[in-house]
Amino acid sequence: MKLHHLAGGLAALCLAAGALASDPVTVADAGRDAYSQPFPGLTDTERDHFFRGRSLFRQSWVVSPARDTQIDGLGPLYNRLACVSCHARNGRGFAPDRPGERMQTMLLRLSVPGIDAHGGPLPHPAYGGQFNEEGIPGVPGEGRAETAWSETEVTLAGGEVVRLRQPAFSFSELAYGPLDPVLVSARIGQPVFGMGLLDAVSAEELDRMAAEAKPDGVTGRVNRVWDAAAGRAVAGRLGYKANMANLRQQIAGAMLGDLGITSPLFGEQNCSPVQAECRQAPDGGHPELTAEQLDDLEFYLAHLAVPQRRNADDPQVGQGERLFAASGCTACHRPLVVTGEHPKYPRLAQRAIAPYSDLLVHDLGEGLADHRPDFLANGREWRTAPLWGIGLAGLIGERVGYLHDGRARNLLEAVLWHGGEAAPAQARFTALTPAERAAVLAFLGSL
Amino acid sequence: MTVNVNRRRLLAGLAAVLVAPPLLAAEARRTVRVLTAYPDAVVSRFEAAFEAAHPEYRLQVVWRMPHDAQPYLEQPGQNGVDVFWSASPRVFSALARSSRLQKLNLDTTGLPDRIGNAPLADPDGYTRCTEMAGYGFVVNPGALAGLGLPAPADWSDLADARYAGRIALPIPARVGFAPPMVEIVLQALGWQAGWALWSEIAGNSVLLDRNSTFVTDEVASGRLPVGLSIDFFVASAIANGAPVRFDYPRHGGINPAQVALPAEAPNPDGGRAFAQFVLSEAGQRMLAHPDIRKLPVRPSVYADLPAAYYNPFVAASLGAFDYDGETARTRLALSAALFEQVFVADHAEHSALWRRLHAAEAAGKDVAAARRALTTMPMVATAAADPALRGLFQGRLEGSAGEPASRVELAWRTEAAARRAEADTLLKGVGA
Repeated sequence: MKLHHLAGGLAALCLAAGALASDPVTVADAGRDAYSQPFPGLTDTERDHFFRGRSLFRQSWVVSPARDTQIDGLGPLYNRLACVSCHARNGRGFAPDRPGERMQTMLLRLSVPGIDAHGGPLPHPAYGGQFNEEGIPGVPGEGRAETAWSETEVTLAGGEVVRLRQPAFSFSELAYGPLDPVLVSARIGQPVFGMGLLDAVSAEELDRMAAEAKPDGVTGRVNRVWDAAAGRAVAGRLGYKANMANLRQQIAGAMLGDLGITSPLFGEQNCSPVQAECRQAPDGGHPELTAEQLDDLEFYLAHLAVPQRRNADDPQVGQGERLFAASGCTACHRPLVVTGEHPKYPRLAQRAIAPYSDLLVHDLGEGLADHRPDFLANGREWRTAPLWGIGLAGLIGERVGYLHDGRARNLLEAVLWHGGEAAPAQARFTALTPAERAAVLAFLGSL
Repeated sequence: MTVNVNRRRLLAGLAAVLVAPPLLAAEARRTVRVLTAYPDAVVSRFEAAFEAAHPEYRLQVVWRMPHDAQPYLEQPGQNGVDVFWSASPRVFSALARSSRLQKLNLDTTGLPDRIGNAPLADPDGYTRCTEMAGYGFVVNPGALAGLGLPAPADWSDLADARYAGRIALPIPARVGFAPPMVEIVLQALGWQAGWALWSEIAGNSVLLDRNSTFVTDEVASGRLPVGLSIDFFVASAIANGAPVRFDYPRHGGINPAQVALPAEAPNPDGGRAFAQFVLSEAGQRMLAHPDIRKLPVRPSVYADLPAAYYNPFVAASLGAFDYDGETARTRLALSAALFEQVFVADHAEHSALWRRLHAAEAAGKDVAAARRALTTMPMVATAAADPALRGLFQGRLEGSAGEPASRVELAWRTEAAARRAEADTLLKGVGA
């Protein structure tokens, strides 16, 4: 039985028991707006809410003081001007290809050894938790980060040679003193559709998936992270290391870290004690992003629909789907997850979804390791990347990267980087015939 | 990676040479501060392309809507801005008049100074147009066919009663690109007939506010079969798969974006390099990207664009752009404010009266007096030419909606209400 039929069957079983919602959260759009559609069937009031959030997500923020008081307060230190700067058309970002090229859709997380008061990464004392290359006029940016690549050749069964690249980062023009010793981890912008559904997966469901016996020595565990609003540790679901408690905090964290916009969740500007100009710079209000604006953004992202699968009945896609499962990929890239209750948005609750992820963190080996712990996730552990919609990534963004730092330029490279718990599955994939590998890639392209 | 894989690690230095040109020393890059209101889809692409073409420079983008950019450039030192690039002829004109710009001194070979009646270059050399956008109609052919409606060919077609409740109209005083639409019709038909037509179109329309749904959302979804828009939003939606079409009306108009160098630019060479890049063949070709879709000002670029790409230079030679944006410039804010008070502020009432009037006309009733009441504005053209009155609205630029209505505006609204009451009485008088 094909996996999507199995998932559909399970969902139908649950529906028959009256357990799951049936109104759609997916869209048939397979064009460049496929990541940008609202759930079908939103009410007029909900659509207004959605569109207000969309405007904010696309808004370039303004340096204070300004006449546009609703959108001012950029920085003082920041990476980019708008949410869409890193999530163009709500899709994924990419890494710089050459030295000297700026990080348009990628950023560098920083920390020093140790943990903060809530068990998270300990920010760098001068540069904080994220390297902000830009500063508003009068405030020096933190410096410049460069990306250099080293390459490795991999030969697959059948003789296909693949070149894999690995980044190394260097810093220059440091404005606030030395950076070393520091732990650095790169992040490209992630696709933002379907995040509400992932946010609605319950802690119990995560624990259940973690406790399930899995093949190949695969384990997976729930990251336990700090919920700033609740003031307690909770299960992490979002972020490359499942290091974010919920969608609202993800948004507020990005607004502060990437744009320098304070919010009801994070009211302090992102200035360290040594960043004097930053601390003295004008702000855009207290907070700069109001609770209503945060509501709008949250509603928008929570109700961005998931693109429906395409070509599921194509024989090659079907073969690839079977090989994907037989290789062991579905131990982590799960085709069926059920959401629980959602405290705010009933449309997200009690749904069978197909994220192709378990939202757990897994050891993916030394090749991908960033050696930077993030709450319970160690330097080798990464959250299983959701694969839904991934087949449209290259259509929606003319330049996209895969994996946390965009090192993979296509899905084949992304698969080959899997190690650690995923090593047996990766080995089975590399041993497939070229036609079989093409089938697996065709299956991924159908998602 | 583990089994079944043979790998050979290349020397990292060799790989770097293979994949990248030599890195220019970071300290050699000078900052070019660009003040703009372009969306990220435009800014990010020009940022990347400019820095690749000019590795000696690093762009710093400062984003401000035009109404906020002008005071920013009027402050001491002009906030260190090296180049101003935006779509607001009024702001560029005001800055040039107040000696806050320096001459561009660009190589303008291959760049015409006019299109139709619209200038593309300031004769004094302070500004130059970098791209254009035209106004017209976004239509959903399927939705129109389903309703048995023809696609409009010109503004006057939208007065047809069959379009009632079916036109998406961005509110001119609130949506940045919309004010010139009002003036295009006024110039084409004259003050009285132009406003009469706008009254009827507004009565047929569904109003769209700033930060709400887009015209293309409404028309592509089929909720509304036709909308009024600037072309690039629609062209970009079409390029990304939306099932809509953009039709330029017989009476069209161009809204130019411009570039200029602030008088106190700390890095004028850098600002000039950026302006030159935007106007270059490479920069102008970028305007055709599906996420941008503006109209290049360099005619030679059109030869390489898809055949369906609208060529305004060809259209202008056929008389499509007789609209004179320069003449309209000082009246834009006033006409948008007048539109707001007469048609938008009490829109439900306004629309309801037009529906009754159209129904009465269809029934053969004589409602000419009611039509006159609904199409008479609270102000005549000569009054609108009063510099003192225009001065009241001088500060209202694109995106500056939300300011409280002035006393004169409230008077317009009151008079419009009286005209509607008169029309209501007249319609009741004939049983309509």
